[in-house]
Amino acid sequence: MSVQPVTISNLRAGYGGDDIVNDVSFDVRPGEVFTIIGPNGSGKSTLIKVLAGIVPARKGTISLFDKDVTAMKAAQRIAAGMAYVPQEFNVFRNMTIAENLRLSTEFIGLRGRRGLAERDRVLAMFPDIAGRQSILAGNLSGGQRQMLAFACALISGPEVLLLDEPSAGLSPRLVGEIFQKVRAVNAAGTTVVMVEQNVAQALPISDRVLVLVNGAIRHQSTAEEIRARDDLHELFLGEA
Amino acid sequence: MAQLILNGVVTGLIVALPAIALSLTFAILKFPNFAIGAMLTFAAYIAWALNTLAGVPLVAAAALTLVLFPAVTLICDSGVFRPLRNRGPITLMVASMGLSFVLENVCRLVFGNDARNFDIPLSRPLRYAGLRINYEQIVAAGVAVAALILVYLILLRSPLGRAMRAVADNPDLAAARGIDDGRVIKATWILAGVLIAASSVLVGMDRAIDPQMGWNYIIVCFAAAVVGGMGSPAGAVVGALGMGIIGELATLVVDPNYRAGVAFLAIALVLLIRPHGLFGRREIKK
Ligand SMILES: Nc1ncnc2c1ncn2[C@@H]1O[C@H](COP(=O)(O)OP(=O)(O)O)[C@@H](O)[C@H]1O
Ligand SMILES: [Mg+2]
Repeated sequence: MSVQPVTISNLRAGYGGDDIVNDVSFDVRPGEVFTIIGPNGSGKSTLIKVLAGIVPARKGTISLFDKDVTAMKAAQRIAAGMAYVPQEFNVFRNMTIAENLRLSTEFIGLRGRRGLAERDRVLAMFPDIAGRQSILAGNLSGGQRQMLAFACALISGPEVLLLDEPSAGLSPRLVGEIFQKVRAVNAAGTTVVMVEQNVAQALPISDRVLVLVNGAIRHQSTAEEIRARDDLHELFLGEA
Repeated sequence: MAQLILNGVVTGLIVALPAIALSLTFAILKFPNFAIGAMLTFAAYIAWALNTLAGVPLVAAAALTLVLFPAVTLICDSGVFRPLRNRGPITLMVASMGLSFVLENVCRLVFGNDARNFDIPLSRPLRYAGLRINYEQIVAAGVAVAALILVYLILLRSPLGRAMRAVADNPDLAAARGIDDGRVIKATWILAGVLIAASSVLVGMDRAIDPQMGWNYIIVCFAAAVVGGMGSPAGAVVGALGMGIIGELATLVVDPNYRAGVAFLAIALVLLIRPHGLFGRREIKK
């Protein structure tokens, strides 16, 4: 068996007394866009936070390529090649664009000139925000904020990018733009694990899809197979 | 009147330091630290013991206290607050009340109930343009302003400050940026410890040190921090200056014993007009 970018085995996680993610296992293949869908509150964000090292795993293991990262903190996982863009509150709104970018380099060992070089590399991909460094992130439009969040995550040069609902709260036109960015990042060689509610627009750029219901895997297949089915609704409700 | 304002500004500057400490720990740890008063008392006793029992000159005793007292706040954190970190703000607040009781009684047990004073010569006030100002007031104002500038530079210009602002704003996102919140919390307690220690020495130069002295400062500290918008250090400074000046001016119209009442009135008025304080932000809840 070849080494996959992400391998998750028997993962269990939650808050307080409750388990939100129940015994979840899957793997993500090199260079693919792996999309997790499912109803609200099914534990998608929790699952991706466990991958990112924000919420601890209670059971099971997470591997990044051949490394077991289960016990690693978020910072160490960044060093190991993972980056995470949270759902919605994904930039520091009371800081400027420049400060947000700087903050994304200085705590992962990219100080001084190397940090600036990486910053310039990602800014070249996001012309929208490049020329507006002194603007408060809170004053940006939703789409620009999302671009900044992407830029901040990509600054570490991740091999695996975790995205939690990148299209949430955006106008339909911007949703298309965001998914194009996801596609571009993926085409440049980054494996993407993405949570999405916007199934219709997410599936065309996805390779494989996992349906999470009540913290457990309900279904897993290629994106094409899911698109061909007409019982997605039942899958979501858990009747299929 | 000008004299009262001058006195109020100096008092406000001294109170601004623990008010910032309160504000910072609230911003990072999300609970109001009621032990702030007892911490101030404890720090004052450390300085007093060094100064009078060990015979260290006050300046050196103060410098030593700035170094030693943060160890106390760190111990309080690892012994009391860290184990309760995930139990919610009410639990932490109650724990801080308990800690307050412990710190105060350690002082009482070790040093007794008597009022103590630093070993400093009495000096005659200077006069300038009809205003009286003590040597102690000048020192207090100078030290407090220097501390404020230092805090400003740390918060707005240093990596530590950016990390602190990040954790205060959004802990999950801060972690996603590689920030170790455990280290930020430690740094916050150290900074709070330095501010409390500095203020304790300035307070001790102005009044007697006794086990209950901290109670006089809890109310003004909270008033300053709440008026400024809990969690906003700049707001805490403005709040502290405002409280200092209002407290002095109040003596023109009411008995000095009712100063605290006037402070509360001021808090109530500000909060009526601005429920989140002068500089507070409405919490963005997910
Ligand atoms: N920090 C938290 N503390 C306690 N419960 C939480 C927390 N975050 C999410 N939950 C709960 O976990 C469940 C799954 O939430 P989430 O993972 O955000 O789902 P999704 O992203 O699929 O909508 C929900 O019931 C939610 O209330
Ligand atoms: Mg979610």
